[in-house]
Amino acid sequence: MEVKSDISQENGHCGPIDTGIKIPERMLKREQDRLEDVERKKEAKNSQSVTEEKSEFITAMFSNERAAIEELLAGCSCAIDRSLATQTLEEVTTRTQQLQKFLTDNQKPLPPYVLKQSQVSLQKLQTSLAEKRDEILPKKKFAFKSRATNTSKVSTPVIDPVPRVTQNDSAQTNVDGVISPPEQCGFSHFESKVLIKSAEEIKQKDVLLTHLTNCKVKLLGSPSTVHIKHIQNCEIFSGPVSSSVFVDHCTGSTLSFPCQQLRTHHTTNTQVYLHVTSRAIIEYCQDVHFAPFTWSYPGLDEDFAVSGLDRGRNNWDQVDDFNWLAIGTQSPNWSVIPEADRRADWD
Amino acid sequence: MGLLTILKKMKHKEREMRLLMLGLDNAGKTTILKKFNGEDVSTISPTLGFNIKTLEHKGFKLNIWDVGGQKSLRSYWRNYFESTDGLVWVVDSADRLRLEDCRQELSSLLLEERLSSATLLVFANKQDLPGSLSKEAIREALALDQIKSHHWSIISCSALTGENLLSGVDWLLDDIAARVFTAD
Repeated sequence: MEVKSDISQENGHCGPIDTGIKIPERMLKREQDRLEDVERKKEAKNSQSVTEEKSEFITAMFSNERAAIEELLAGCSCAIDRSLATQTLEEVTTRTQQLQKFLTDNQKPLPPYVLKQSQVSLQKLQTSLAEKRDEILPKKKFAFKSRATNTSKVSTPVIDPVPRVTQNDSAQTNVDGVISPPEQCGFSHFESKVLIKSAEEIKQKDVLLTHLTNCKVKLLGSPSTVHIKHIQNCEIFSGPVSSSVFVDHCTGSTLSFPCQQLRTHHTTNTQVYLHVTSRAIIEYCQDVHFAPFTWSYPGLDEDFAVSGLDRGRNNWDQVDDFNWLAIGTQSPNWSVIPEADRRADWD
Repeated sequence: MGLLTILKKMKHKEREMRLLMLGLDNAGKTTILKKFNGEDVSTISPTLGFNIKTLEHKGFKLNIWDVGGQKSLRSYWRNYFESTDGLVWVVDSADRLRLEDCRQELSSLLLEERLSSATLLVFANKQDLPGSLSKEAIREALALDQIKSHHWSIISCSALTGENLLSGVDWLLDDIAARVFTAD
């Protein structure tokens, strides 16, 4: 009782002073905490709805633009003017690209599923655009008109620099002046002839030999590249070739040259007397036989120097057959010519 | 977040790019790769299979795949398409005879879905040869102006001298970086 009254007394005594300072302070702090908490929750909620709104906004923008592009694409057909169609296609292309960029830039707020769906629909759009373009603007077929070159080459005498100029002119006009005249010399469409090119004519040019039958060809110089195509029963000898020799569709022939690389295709029953500083390869070939290069002519040493080939390195017997990828077993498509059967007489 | 997403994010952080180098045989793909890497280019053989080089350039880690271009190998090209960021198409500018072949191979590559997001760089290689075609002629011959599906550029170069190799690769990196890494 005494205690109680004491308390009440204390209360009564201290009351007016303490209520002003102690209790409201605690209360205020609590109130403040509560308010802060509410504020925090509110903020979190707000920001979440912002992301939601933002992602909704992006999705809406995306689908609107996509629909617009689709409509544009659908309206574009061969029936309308070609130039107009081209213009529309251009516009569709740029808008699709912009849309792609828009999606990439704004992918962060998007939920993964929505992002994936958008990407899929964009992909579809691009596919249909590609289809449309193929339909409206079929690809122009590009081809060199080499007929004039060929015919004039046939009629060109073996050594005659003057007609070459006119031949070059015709070649140039044929391809609208875009393609400059080829720095090429060679022989094509000959039968049973002996054909010779001198070092002055060859001088690090590309040499082209095509459609030759029963011919004997000597290239007494150092070409840059040699192409040998559609050859039957010929003997083709060349000085050092500084880069590659291409052989394609060659049968029953004997070839001899030094080169950096040899690439042989669709060739059958052919002997190659070879000096190769990197590798020789065969592809779709049968019955091809290799031996080291032994042919010689006056000036070979100088031509070796011009070509830059290493005389000390000859990998003539390391042939890669691209149709025989089994390591360790010899390809049935090529072989080394036994020493006894190698050719010694070159004239 | 799946493991794959995490891995992808890590890859982005490393700024890693995968470049695929293709072209007809004898175009000079291996020579470009080796020259770019500062190796000897005089003893290169026709590629039977493929070469990979990983190198750092401009703060990017580049994985460059060089796949052989012989006809019998072209059917294997598609094994290398996956997740390619940049396609480098190498052209022998002196090989007029096979330009049409070259155009066809390129256009069929561009239809490939797995390459649809790759940037295309065309190297008009072998400009050191006297008979080589200009890059304008190659652009025309390959009908590059009709390509709308990919970002592309053509750059004339010489793998033998190394001329323009760097500027070509720089362009490719910038284009890929602008596309792939904008989200960061």
